[in-house]
Amino acid sequence: MMFEGTVFVSRLWAVVLYSGLAAACAALGVLPFMARRRLPSAWLGWADALAAGLMLGASYILVVEGIERLPLAETFGTLAGIATLYATHALTGIWKPGLRPARPDGSGPTDKLWLRNAIHSSAEGVSIGAAMAVDLDFGIFVALALTAHNVPEATALCAYLVPRGVRLLPAALLCVAANLGQIVLAVLTFLMVAEQPALLPAALGFAAGALIYLVVVELLPDSFAKTGHTTIAVLTSVALGAVVIFRGMI
Amino acid sequence: MEAWLVVLLYGLITALATGLGALPFIFVRHVFGRTVACANAVAAGLMLGASFGLVAEGTLYGHWQTLVGAVLGMLFILGTQRTIHEHKIDFSSLGLVGGQRALLIVVVMTIHSFAEGVAVGVAFGGGEKLALLITMAIAVHNVPEGLAISAVLRPHGASLLACIGWSIVSSLPQPLMAVPAFLFVDAFRPVLPYGLGFAAGAMVFMVLDELLPEAYEEASRPVIGLLVSTSLAGMILLQQYL
Repeated sequence: MMFEGTVFVSRLWAVVLYSGLAAACAALGVLPFMARRRLPSAWLGWADALAAGLMLGASYILVVEGIERLPLAETFGTLAGIATLYATHALTGIWKPGLRPARPDGSGPTDKLWLRNAIHSSAEGVSIGAAMAVDLDFGIFVALALTAHNVPEATALCAYLVPRGVRLLPAALLCVAANLGQIVLAVLTFLMVAEQPALLPAALGFAAGALIYLVVVELLPDSFAKTGHTTIAVLTSVALGAVVIFRGMI
Repeated sequence: MEAWLVVLLYGLITALATGLGALPFIFVRHVFGRTVACANAVAAGLMLGASFGLVAEGTLYGHWQTLVGAVLGMLFILGTQRTIHEHKIDFSSLGLVGGQRALLIVVVMTIHSFAEGVAVGVAFGGGEKLALLITMAIAVHNVPEGLAISAVLRPHGASLLACIGWSIVSSLPQPLMAVPAFLFVDAFRPVLPYGLGFAAGAMVFMVLDELLPEAYEEASRPVIGLLVSTSLAGMILLQQYL
C-alpha cells in the first residue's frame, strides 16, 4: 500500500471530489448559449483549441512527472495508452469522430457522440487518478487543468445539442453526464496505483499517451476544420503555456 | 589541445550526426500526398517531444524566462511566415524546394540548435570529464532532428544530399554557440532559459500552424494520431537516456 489509513481515505475523497468537480463544471459549457442559440463556427473552433492546449499541457506535466521516476516504464505506459485509445476507437467504430449533422430521420451519430465523450472523459479520469497518487497538490492541479478543459469541450457538445432543440438545462446535465466516466476511472486508477505503487510511472505515462492521442485525433482536427489554423495555433499554445507556467508556480 | 577547441570539435561531430537522420529517406522515392502527411506527422511528434524536453530543462533555470522565450519564439515564427509570404522568397536554387514550409523547418531547427548549443556549452562548463559522454549523447539526440527536417524536405522533392546538407547546417549553430557558452558560462547561464523557451515556442507553433493542418488534409486522423503520439513518446525517451 502506498498510503496508510486516514491518509488513504482522505486522498480517496479528494479523488472523488476533484474528478466530480471536473465533471460538474462541464455544465458551464452551456453558458455561451444563453446569449445566442447558434454560435459562430469560429467560436467553436476556438473552444476546441483551448481544450486542446489545456489537455496538451496536462499531458506535458504527466510526462515530466512519470519520466523522472522510471523512463522506460513511463514510455511503456505511454505506448499502452496510445494503443488502448486507438483500439477502443477502432472497436467502437469512432474512426472519424467529427461532429457530423444528424440524418433527417433523427438517427444520427448521437450514440457515437456519446461513446466518444465517454471514452474521452475516461482517459481524463485515469489522469486524475494517477496524478492524485503522486501527491495531493499535483492531483488537484491536473484535475483543475482538466476542469478548465471540460468547459470549452462541453460548449462543443452543446453546439451539437442546442440547435437540435435540447433545452439549456438538459443540455448542461447531458454535458455533466458525458463526463461521469471520469469519476469512475479516477477512483479505479487511484485504487490500483495505491495498491501497486510500482505501477505509478506507467500509469502516468498511460494517462499522458491517452491525452496526447485524443488531442491529435479529436480536438486539433475538429478545431482546424472550423476556423483558420493560425488562430488555432495561437490559442492552443497560449493554453498549453498557461498550464506549464501555473504548474511552475505551485 | 585547448579546451575550447575540444568543445568545437565535439560540437562539429554532433552536427555531422544530424545528417544521419536523412538516411532513412534513401528508400522514400515516390512521394504521394499521404507520404507527406505521414512524414509531417512524424516530424510534428519529434518536434513536440523535443520541445517538452526543452521546456522541462528551461523551467529548471526559470519559469518566467522560459515563458517569455516561448512567446518570443511564437512571435518569431509568425513574423517569419509573414516575411516569407510577402516577399515570395525563393530558395529552390539552394536545393530547398517545397517553399515556405521547407524553409521554415530549416530556420526553426537551426534556431533550436542555437539554444541547444548554449545548453551544451554550459553543461561542458560543469566538467570536462563528461565531455565525451555529452557529445555522444547530443550526437545521437541530433539524429531524429535530422529525421524531422528530412521528413519535411524529402517529400517536397529535395534530393537526399540536400536533406543531409540542410540537416547538418541546422545543427552548425551548436558548436558555434557551445564555445562562447563554455568560455563564458556565467554570462550565458542567465540567457539559457530564454533560449530554450524560444526554441520550444517556435517548434510548438510550427507544429500547430504548419505541419499538423497539412497532415490532416491528406491522411486519416487515427494514422496521424498514432504517428504523432508514438514519435513524441520515442523522442522523450531518447532525450531522457541521452
